[in-house]
Amino acid sequence: MRSPRLPGAMTMAVFVLAAAACSGNAAGDEPEEDAVDESKLVVYSGRQESLVQPVVDDFAAETGIEVSVRYGNTAQLAAQIIEEGDRTKADVYFSQDGGALGALTKEGMLAALPADVLDLVDPRYRADDGTWIGTSARARVIVYDPDQLTEAEVPDSVFELTEPQWKGKVGISPSNASFEAFVTAMRVLYGEDKAREWLEGMAANDVQLFDNNVLILNAAEDGVIALGLINHYYWYEQVAEEGLEAVPARLKFLPGGDPGSLVNVAGVGVLAASDRQDEAASFVEYLLSEDAQTYFAQDTKEYPLIEGIPTAEGLPPLASLQTPEIDLSDLDTLEATLEMIEEAGLT
Amino acid sequence: MAAPAEWRTEVTTTGGRSSRPPALLAVPALIAAAVAVLPLVYLVVRSFDSGVGEFVAVLWRERTLRLTVRSVGLAAVVTFACLVLGVFLAWLTTRTTLPGRRAWAVVAALPLAIPSYVAAYAWVAAFPRIPPFWGSVLVLTLCCYPYVMLPVAGTLHRTDPALEEVARSLGRNQLATFLTVTLRQVRPAAAVGGLLVALYVLSDFGAVAILRFDVFTRVIYTSYRSSFDGTAAAALGLVLVVITMTVVWAESRSRGRAAQSRIGSGAPRARRPVVLGPGGVALGLLGAAIVAALALGFPLGSLGYWLAQGRSADLDPGALAGAAVSTISVSALGAVLTTALAIPVGIMAARYRSRRVRALEQASYAGHALPGIVVGLSLVFFGVRFAYPIYQRTPLLVLAYAVLFLPAAIGAVRASVAQSPPVLEEVARSLGRSPARVLRDVTLPLAGPGVAAGAALVFLTCMKELPATLMLRPTGLETLATELWAETEVGAYAAAAPYASLLVLLAAVPTFLLGPRRRSGTLDSSEGGS
Amino acid sequence: MSELVVRGLEKSFGSVRVLDELDLVVPAGQLAAVLGPSGCGKTTLLRVIAGFESADRGTVVLHGVQVAGPGVHVPPERRRVGVVPQEGALFPHLTVAGNVGFGLTRAERRAGRIGELLDLVGLGGFGHRMPYELSGGQQQRIALARALAPEPALVLLDEPFNALDTGLRAAVREDVRSALRAAGATAVLVTHDQEEALSMADLVAVMWGGRIAQAAPPDQLYAAPADLEVATFVGDAVVFDAVATAAGADSPLGPLQLNDAAARGPGRVMVRPEQVVLADTDAKGVVLGTVVATAFYGHDALVRLAVAVPGGAVPVSARCQGMPPGLEVGRSVGLRVVGPVTFFPAA
Repeated sequence: MRSPRLPGAMTMAVFVLAAAACSGNAAGDEPEEDAVDESKLVVYSGRQESLVQPVVDDFAAETGIEVSVRYGNTAQLAAQIIEEGDRTKADVYFSQDGGALGALTKEGMLAALPADVLDLVDPRYRADDGTWIGTSARARVIVYDPDQLTEAEVPDSVFELTEPQWKGKVGISPSNASFEAFVTAMRVLYGEDKAREWLEGMAANDVQLFDNNVLILNAAEDGVIALGLINHYYWYEQVAEEGLEAVPARLKFLPGGDPGSLVNVAGVGVLAASDRQDEAASFVEYLLSEDAQTYFAQDTKEYPLIEGIPTAEGLPPLASLQTPEIDLSDLDTLEATLEMIEEAGLT
Repeated sequence: MAAPAEWRTEVTTTGGRSSRPPALLAVPALIAAAVAVLPLVYLVVRSFDSGVGEFVAVLWRERTLRLTVRSVGLAAVVTFACLVLGVFLAWLTTRTTLPGRRAWAVVAALPLAIPSYVAAYAWVAAFPRIPPFWGSVLVLTLCCYPYVMLPVAGTLHRTDPALEEVARSLGRNQLATFLTVTLRQVRPAAAVGGLLVALYVLSDFGAVAILRFDVFTRVIYTSYRSSFDGTAAAALGLVLVVITMTVVWAESRSRGRAAQSRIGSGAPRARRPVVLGPGGVALGLLGAAIVAALALGFPLGSLGYWLAQGRSADLDPGALAGAAVSTISVSALGAVLTTALAIPVGIMAARYRSRRVRALEQASYAGHALPGIVVGLSLVFFGVRFAYPIYQRTPLLVLAYAVLFLPAAIGAVRASVAQSPPVLEEVARSLGRSPARVLRDVTLPLAGPGVAAGAALVFLTCMKELPATLMLRPTGLETLATELWAETEVGAYAAAAPYASLLVLLAAVPTFLLGPRRRSGTLDSSEGGS
Repeated sequence: MSELVVRGLEKSFGSVRVLDELDLVVPAGQLAAVLGPSGCGKTTLLRVIAGFESADRGTVVLHGVQVAGPGVHVPPERRRVGVVPQEGALFPHLTVAGNVGFGLTRAERRAGRIGELLDLVGLGGFGHRMPYELSGGQQQRIALARALAPEPALVLLDEPFNALDTGLRAAVREDVRSALRAAGATAVLVTHDQEEALSMADLVAVMWGGRIAQAAPPDQLYAAPADLEVATFVGDAVVFDAVATAAGADSPLGPLQLNDAAARGPGRVMVRPEQVVLADTDAKGVVLGTVVATAFYGHDALVRLAVAVPGGAVPVSARCQGMPPGLEVGRSVGLRVVGPVTFFPAA
């Protein structure tokens, strides 16, 4: 009881002052944001800020429409929009994958896009009912360590990876959305049994599990694994950043419509509850403009989805990929995929 | 022979003075509890959205049970490890002649400033093959043991050395005395610390996700990911609430009924520290150094490495500064609101031990083990329906912090109030002060330092919070945690490093204040003698 | 006029009845001591009078105003009752002046009342100190000054000298007694220390089993206890069988003069040790006893003796000035009783 109370009292004082200062600050910010929210187009973006913000800034500069972007996790934002219902603040939802957009469509929360916007993109990469549209595409690839394998030695199909010679040498990221979409595609294309058999075979073959694609890429570079399943752009980004000589790993695009070469999209939709349908549509249109598509292609090394935009250097053209024939809208049975992955013990 | 102090005994054995708390406390406390159970209401509403059948189906899934077991198992192992490590370090830094023990006490508290997801990233990046379970145990233990160490150290500072001296004089050696007497005394403090650890582990998502250990929170996240609607997730959230309440109940049973407001006329005597021999000093230093290296040095080293590596880091100092300012702002507001709500509950918990008060206090724990996404969505639910004007505004975010972190603040308030003897309040009443003025003039000033320490803890935790912040922050407001998340999501460790470093740096300030102070009532929820 | 009138007070905690139809009256300006063993309910009595606890039944009237009774419970802050708890319980966050001035209005504080009170308890000039800078005795005196400051109708002291060491205790008692007198305060002191009660109080109320067994001025209580229990509780007592006759009592210690000359028949007598005088074995009118033990207290000594009677021995204590020489254990001495003794007829 006796020792001085000063430190505590000082802590208290510091907090009160900080809070006072900050609440002043926050109060100062608040009206501004209020005003902003009413006058700006609100985008919920499941794609990251460093990628999206430059496009948004260009759009604002070009059209004079101010945009406020809320960045978050694709799935969480979808859950949030569903929870918000008709009172959602979002005008546009920009998603990392088609599945989350499909979920909003199912809830009836997305408005149909204008036909002239939809026509910009190949029907394979948009919703049948026109409620969302792909803005860029990414391909599944195999990354491998050339010190251990030649390209020819890398199998042409993921189905070979359950064979004994790959025991303990393959890396996957089972919790990654792209991997899950790939498994869903396998289920859709080859049936439940085949997909389950493959997952169980991988588990039995001591497949190495990673939290994300970057870690798989790093592991292939370090020779920890011989090969791994990732999205193509992780490798291209790393090469762009560090130079080809600094990235020992190499990619193989699988031939013959193998599910391991699935092409999936990032996409965008407009909320039905939005009272800014026109501005929202023009934002969507802008994402499909030459400038934005070039930017995606060059900056993220993804595939642009409109005609005539060059892909990043070294990237085989989208049309040249031997991707499986699949309707992306069919990839909406994620739950069954998750259960299957888990039952195979790959979590 | 002097009679036992009757005034005290009666107060504790009869469960308080006028047994009904005044409206002045009860009304705000009820409001606080109502805020705390908001997520629970949401979970119930959502769970039964699609009918009882689906609710039952979700609960009966085999993996629900398996993951419950995994979650509880992880929580148990981490809690045990934190208890061992926390009590050991507390003892080492308060009761021995370890060279530089004050400095070690500060260092040992600092891991609290490191978000568990940052530590997990550091470990996974360095050791990609780290086994999921033991990796999770390692990371969570190193991040959480200060929750045990701080209150235990506080108790060790305060407890009367006479008891230990008596034990020694009765023929117990040092070790036996430590085991039979000292540990007994720190048990309530350790129990509350252990409770916070267990609840943290149950609610943690980031670290276990990165380390790929599949636990309950992860199912909740994936069920949002897979179905995007809350029914299954809500049903699972309810299971987590049940586990939480069981843990809270178990802790309150283990805490016992000891009352400890000491109205001594003399300050407790200075105690003679345990003299460590050269071997003991070496071992002690080695132990403290290893813990510091693993818990603090390793993540900081990784951050430094990424910082130095940062070719992808075209750092925008403006964004960094902006994120720092907004982090401090919302966290400070969160700390103030949380503490304000905690004060009436904490005082009631310390002064009126009726069954109803206990229920009220325990209700405040309801949301504590829920993952941030559930709390976030519940406030989306309520915000959109009943508080649309503040939806995605600072006030609602601050309210979410209060829901998430109320228990820690309540613990601190309860402990510091319990430490000042109730007789002081009675004297004040007899001198003509109304209950409200007694609160203002006596109770709060005396509890002040402990309450402030609780606020510091909440402040610290708010700074690290991610999922609810992502969901509820005003559009455009970025905190250090959200920026850090945005960069690590795309694997840009180098770009994330400045945010992580600044977050750790800022979080170190309140941690430092929580640390080695003699009088900090910190997490002394412990002492709450309930 | 009586300042405090307690009638029929009852209070139970659970199944334990702590106060049982308790009556107590304290006249204005007097200091009453409630004397009882620990656990007799005396602290509860104080707490009910102060208003910290409400009674189950009975009334408390203070200064002519009923403060507790059926349907009445005046809160503590409106009772004008000063409290001096055990160990003082000074507010550790306030200075001495802050403590003493706690119950005063600003005007009173300005008018120098704090200084007066500090002078009253002999601690003038201590106002700026913090409680922890004071000794235990000083803390107690400040606690008294604090309680007296608002000129309460009644001051309650709960074993206030417990924590003080013996040497200090007497001095502080004296200080407190004179301060109370100087303030003209009515006070109730709770204690288990009979010496404290007898030396300080105008009125001593012996309490056990939740009720007042006897309330009387100290000398009366000592000389004429109401029953054997009180007799043996207050002061040392030698008790043995006797038969009362017109000529006094017939007892193992010879014929005794009785307080109540009208008493007749068998019963027990109570003799105070100081009434027992030691003499030579051959002195006139003595009975013989054997020394069993001696205890020396400085100012006096207590000699324990056994007086042989047919079929056993009666234990007797004698208080002597100083230590008589040669009283080794086993020695035979003469003894006689001086002055009237109290007789309790057999029931």
